[in-house]
Amino acid sequence: MKPPVFDYQDPASVEEALELLARHGAAAKVLAGGQSLMPLLNLRLARPEVVVDINRIDALDYLTEESGWLRVGARVRQRRLEREAEVRRMVPLLTEAVRFVGHPQIRNRGTVCGSLAHADPAAELPAVAVAVGARLVARSRSGVREIPAEEFFTGPLTTALRPDELLAEARFPCTGPDWGWAFLEVSNRHGDYALCAVAAGVRAGDGRIQDARLAYAGAGPVPVRLREAEAALVEHSDLEEGIRAASAEARRVLQPDGDLHASSEFRRHLAAVLTARTVRLAWTRARTRSGGAHA
Amino acid sequence: MKIEGTETLHAPRDRVWALLDDPQALASCTPGMQELRPTGPDEFEAVLSIGIAAVRGTYKGKLRITERTPPERYAVQVEGSSGAGFVRAVGVLELEDQGAQTGVRWSGEVQVGGALTLGSRMIPGIARMLAGQFFQCLDRKLQEGSA
Repeated sequence: MKPPVFDYQDPASVEEALELLARHGAAAKVLAGGQSLMPLLNLRLARPEVVVDINRIDALDYLTEESGWLRVGARVRQRRLEREAEVRRMVPLLTEAVRFVGHPQIRNRGTVCGSLAHADPAAELPAVAVAVGARLVARSRSGVREIPAEEFFTGPLTTALRPDELLAEARFPCTGPDWGWAFLEVSNRHGDYALCAVAAGVRAGDGRIQDARLAYAGAGPVPVRLREAEAALVEHSDLEEGIRAASAEARRVLQPDGDLHASSEFRRHLAAVLTARTVRLAWTRARTRSGGAHA
Repeated sequence: MKIEGTETLHAPRDRVWALLDDPQALASCTPGMQELRPTGPDEFEAVLSIGIAAVRGTYKGKLRITERTPPERYAVQVEGSSGAGFVRAVGVLELEDQGAQTGVRWSGEVQVGGALTLGSRMIPGIARMLAGQFFQCLDRKLQEGSA
């Protein structure tokens, strides 16, 4: 299979890339790792007139901590999330989730920002972004804006990015000391898109859950954060009762579509089961951390 | 695959019906509709350019109104194809009189073929998003009309 004809541009600076996006708008498509875009091109499902390859832009290759935030530039490969111990210390949920993204070969090329901008509703990194409250930095010739993750994903493969904007950076808040995080998913084969995936975070204190985060992939048109289920975890002083209430809430509220791979009912069932498993795991990790020991 | 939903339009039912019965109004609210040309009674040829992110295609096809029960029920059949595959759909709209408002219950049965089937797990979500845009546009027209 071969892609349709397109004009190829590989700017060496962010400014040049933004200039190209301003000029071509919706006719242009940004190429980073190419792990989603190349298959779409080869199947001729995508037919951009111009492909703007950002792989020559060294200025976008940074992974740094600044004032309690992990900043991930647009050219950072997913593989770096699992290889750098600092990432686990700052945003452990990223390290947990990234091993479910495709296969090592895919993660060697695929970028963090590319996965976020592609916005597949069953992908792992968008769910992580929603769970931790990441902020997405969109740059265009007319300026810079930061979009909260929950407002960034607006539909399947659809984001709040304008055609002239580049997702230049993703910012993840560093975890607090009493938090534990977990990410689990069920897919037909490891590396496939999730039938359902759950990202959970809990803050332990006084022997109970004080605060919680729950986000789901594969359970709707966009990654969803379930505040009702989070509230259920905080309200119950008994962990297992809280987990039962949160799982029931996930099953009640989520409305995943059924398809060839899994019915809607099965996906809701998975959401409930994975809620319980991730929360238990996150709880164990949170207690280990708050107890002074390191997991 | 089957998809369905409900919407509320902020106008009385007879006005909603009049709008739905006007092909040009329908065409202007259908996301990506570039051309709608009548070819017979209740039959049209349509050109649609639908794009979800990079997956954008121009579909040529036929649209047929298969049932029309004023002012409560309306059914259409659509089929189209592009380089990426084909889409066939039947849709039914039912209007419920709620005084100053109208409740809309819609359902559709969508079939896709060709390379498009690779994205089939996302098609219900995408169809729902496009339907949402369609009804928002109708509602805007209805409210402008009454202002």
